[in-house]
Amino acid sequence: MRFVLRLLSCIAIALTVGFGLSYYALTDGRLFGAVTLGPWTAWPDAGSPAPNPYTRGHLTREAALQLGRSEGLQFVATTDSDNAPLKLECSYLLAGHVPVSAFWTLSAVDATWVNLAAPGTDPALRSSEIVRETDGMFRVHIGTRLLPGNWLELAGEGEFQLVLTLYDTTALSGFASSDASMPSITLEQCS
Amino acid sequence: MTRTLLWLIGGLLLGGVIHIVAILTLPLLAEETTWSRISALKAENRMLVLDRVTQGTPNPLRLDPELSYGVCEIDLSNGPAYLSGVLPDAFWSVAVYDQNGVVIYSTTNRDGIGQTVELGIFNAAQTRLLAQQQIDIADGLLIVEAPTNQLFVLVRLSAPHEAMRSRFEQELSEINCGPRT
Repeated sequence: MRFVLRLLSCIAIALTVGFGLSYYALTDGRLFGAVTLGPWTAWPDAGSPAPNPYTRGHLTREAALQLGRSEGLQFVATTDSDNAPLKLECSYLLAGHVPVSAFWTLSAVDATWVNLAAPGTDPALRSSEIVRETDGMFRVHIGTRLLPGNWLELAGEGEFQLVLTLYDTTALSGFASSDASMPSITLEQCS
Repeated sequence: MTRTLLWLIGGLLLGGVIHIVAILTLPLLAEETTWSRISALKAENRMLVLDRVTQGTPNPLRLDPELSYGVCEIDLSNGPAYLSGVLPDAFWSVAVYDQNGVVIYSTTNRDGIGQTVELGIFNAAQTRLLAQQQIDIADGLLIVEAPTNQLFVLVRLSAPHEAMRSRFEQELSEINCGPRT
């Protein structure tokens, strides 16, 4: 009887650890292949010719067209800087600098990667389209309600994620001079 | 007590083994991959411009709505493949993917290529012939050595303004792709 109990608990632990760890590694992945800068997550190995096994699993799960390492890097944020999930009922302020890049684009998508920009507007914001402060910092307001300044107008409800794609960037490329400061996402107000 | 503890440690070790096996076999077991999504587009040896991403429509390949994408599937078993043409004076980049969706080569036009795309893709045997000067190539051709035969090429082109986009996509679709005829 005791043997059976021990065997069962052994199997239970094995299954939980084995599949739980695998699921974690491919979704959050912070300890495995993903890099987080504030609320932003990127898989810097995703564009390399020989990705590590975790990144390979991540690539398979996404089945998307990854950016090559010399082309750029994609950052995704599902939470604001205070770790609360991004919601379409609220408006957010994206402020700060991005690492050196030729240009960048910002868009909002839902969990299945459907674009959430309001109908009739530009589906993504591009770095050349925004107004900056005198010191080069930028502020972008994100939300469904009318907001001043640079505004990424969204539609719908529920949770969303922000995608910031840097093209031709030095971020996380291992060069010592590259800074890796990403903009902060702060909650403004909720309806 | 010690015996129970040993069983639990055994469970942890077994869990580690399951984890490693799951991670390593996942790419082999997946049914819908980047490759299956691209080959469904039927873009063999031609440059196919992908549809623009718009609000509310599915975007399984996770394309950037600001960019135009041209995709071309190539098979090196019929001889080396070439990509040639002229692209507009704006940011563009070329990436070569293998069947696992891994980028085996990528470059941007900021690496000093200018507006002309001249890219030759060779497998290992063809690269050897190239070194022995058995294959004639034009001067200035960018040479990519590919580990496998089944590949696809993706050109990303960024029109600085929406008004230029149709013309840029037209120029993108005129890029030649495939074996030299």
